Amino acid sequence: MIAVEGVVKRFGAQTVLDGVSLAVAPGEVVTILGSSGSGKSTLIRCINGLERLDGGRITVDGLDVADPRQLAQARRLSATVFQLFNLYPHMTVLRNVTLAPEVVLKRPRAEVEAEAQALLASVGLAGKADAYPAQLSGGQRQRVGICRALAMNPRYLLLDEVTSALDPEMTAEVLAILGRLAGRQMGDGGTTMLFVTHEVEFARRISTRIVFLDQGRLIVDLPTARFFADDGGLAHPRIRQFLSKMAPSNTVAGAEVTV
Amino acid sequence: MSFDLTVLTPHLEPLLAGALLTAEVCALGIAGAFGLATVLGLATAGRGWAQRLAWLYVDVFRNVPFVVQVFFLYYGLPEIGVYIDAFWTGVLALSLVGGAYGGDVVRSGILAIDPGVVEAARVGGLPRLDIIRRIVLPIALRAAIRPLGSVFVNLVLSSSILSMITLDEVTGTARGVAAETYRPFEVYAFLLVAYAVLTYAVSLGIAALHRHLNRHMVASPGVAGSEVAGKGA
Amino acid sequence: MRHAGFTWHDGALLAQGLGVSLGLFAGTFLIGLVLGSGAAVVRHFRVPALSPILHAGLELLRNSPVLVQLFLVFFGIPALIHQPLAPLSAAGLTLSANTAAFVYFIAVAGLDAVGRDQVEAARTFGFTRMQVVRHILAPQAAAFAVAPLVGLAVNQLQVTSLVSVIGVMDLTKAGDILNLRTLRPFAVWTMVGALYFAAAKTLTLLGNRWERRLRAHAAPLEL
Repeated sequence: MIAVEGVVKRFGAQTVLDGVSLAVAPGEVVTILGSSGSGKSTLIRCINGLERLDGGRITVDGLDVADPRQLAQARRLSATVFQLFNLYPHMTVLRNVTLAPEVVLKRPRAEVEAEAQALLASVGLAGKADAYPAQLSGGQRQRVGICRALAMNPRYLLLDEVTSALDPEMTAEVLAILGRLAGRQMGDGGTTMLFVTHEVEFARRISTRIVFLDQGRLIVDLPTARFFADDGGLAHPRIRQFLSKMAPSNTVAGAEVTV
Repeated sequence: MSFDLTVLTPHLEPLLAGALLTAEVCALGIAGAFGLATVLGLATAGRGWAQRLAWLYVDVFRNVPFVVQVFFLYYGLPEIGVYIDAFWTGVLALSLVGGAYGGDVVRSGILAIDPGVVEAARVGGLPRLDIIRRIVLPIALRAAIRPLGSVFVNLVLSSSILSMITLDEVTGTARGVAAETYRPFEVYAFLLVAYAVLTYAVSLGIAALHRHLNRHMVASPGVAGSEVAGKGA
Repeated sequence: MRHAGFTWHDGALLAQGLGVSLGLFAGTFLIGLVLGSGAAVVRHFRVPALSPILHAGLELLRNSPVLVQLFLVFFGIPALIHQPLAPLSAAGLTLSANTAAFVYFIAVAGLDAVGRDQVEAARTFGFTRMQVVRHILAPQAAAFAVAPLVGLAVNQLQVTSLVSVIGVMDLTKAGDILNLRTLRPFAVWTMVGALYFAAAKTLTLLGNRWERRLRAHAAPLEL
């Protein structure tokens, strides 16, 4: 369980997160929607301990991320996929995937490498293990980013706008993989996913729940079906406004994804 | 008097011995400078008292002439009971000054790293030391090879100053040969060109090494997806 | 250890040495600045014969030890032309040429940064070459080059310390003399080092102030 309780985060005079509370239970796929600057990415960065909280509390399976020692433990439970991939540029694709399992989890190299090869093959990158990130396309890089996260066998997968830097074709290829992953994991107590995305259609298909952030406040937290119901999330003017703005760009990528 | 380089032929042997001593003192000095530069680069890129201390060090060693530093180490330190011979004084002096200039280079390399890459390592759970050893330094030092090379080439040129504390490296030997042959112009012209050719060759070698070690770090032309570079925040 | 104490006379000696160092630096840096920039302009207009010869010569100066250059000029040239050369002249000649070499490479980079399209544009308006240099190239190249030039100045100030070896009475030579008399090298070289440090820091401070002013004036040209 990821528990976010009344979290406040400020950058200078600006309050980015203003008392956000959210609970993500094992098996759930929760999507965070909201316009740019609403604090979505900051919330993810608070959960994985990249930002210090100005108020409130975040725990991952009871581990308080504000405490350095507990954070180190919590980071073994979750893994993050980044908007700009953030691959290690000086390491091969394979090494990008195996580094943390080997160094952090202290697992034997041969075993980790075999597993990484299988992961890469499952996302269509079997032949790219020895390539370097700079030699890959954006979509391929993000698939490596996903493998790097999955190699940690995380209980919680945090995905921060993972398709925002990709063109529609590459977006589709990455979403297809994530869709498969969500479909496989849903309800079986496996990887729980917390998504920040602009892909509304995609979110609708794979999420069990959708929350909406507006100017640092979490204004709606509903099961997916209720979120898109006229008397549910759509009753909220901010959400209707947001969805009408997002719609055109999402039908393109969303249409190509079959889950 | 005409320009005649053949006067040097009988003295090639001591000159070569001097060149060998130059090579030795420089090799050790560069090794020391590299280590110190790495430490100072990390310290100056960081925070707190270690950063302030490292800055002070860099400031002092970059703003006091090398010859004064050498005299201080060779003549000054014995006054407080520290005796180091000319050779090791040379190694120490080159390490200290090279570390100051190199530290600045390494610092720039560290600050140029995409912060997202380090964040990925942090949320991946890598301990601080592992992040420095496996992520930060390999990336920063790769970027720093060429500018560090310039620092080291300058160290080789500065090593000639060690002849002033009686170290018979190649410049010191050349002074002897010039006095013996009464042909200072030939001796120093030859020496000057020799230094220039050597350092020029080293610069070319460093540039090649830089390209080689960074060959994977940039997208090769025509690679699909290079359009992603520069996108985003 | 038996030694004489420091006297007021020693302070005067150090001050005099510092004066010689600063004077030598200022003079040779100015000459080097003019010569180096001139050579860079020659290269920019690709003057045949002169341009490659200058380039090779200055590359040689940049890649060899100043100490060896100093020996070549002070001991070598008199032996070749059978005319004695005063230490101060030899020092001035060497440091000017050495500074010119470094200024040349900084100025070349500055001129290249301006871009030839601007020069061509100016030429179509009927500017002469020298007018292009004065009104178009020089101000922009200067704004680009000022930071590395400040760094070079601090470096060349320190390089003057080598002239003591051919007998010029600069700050380092003053330290040498003081050291022989008092036999207190630790204190002497700390003092000499502190004086150089203070001079270099002052120079950096002035240079940075000048840089800000120059960049402020050059800003409209960057449009």
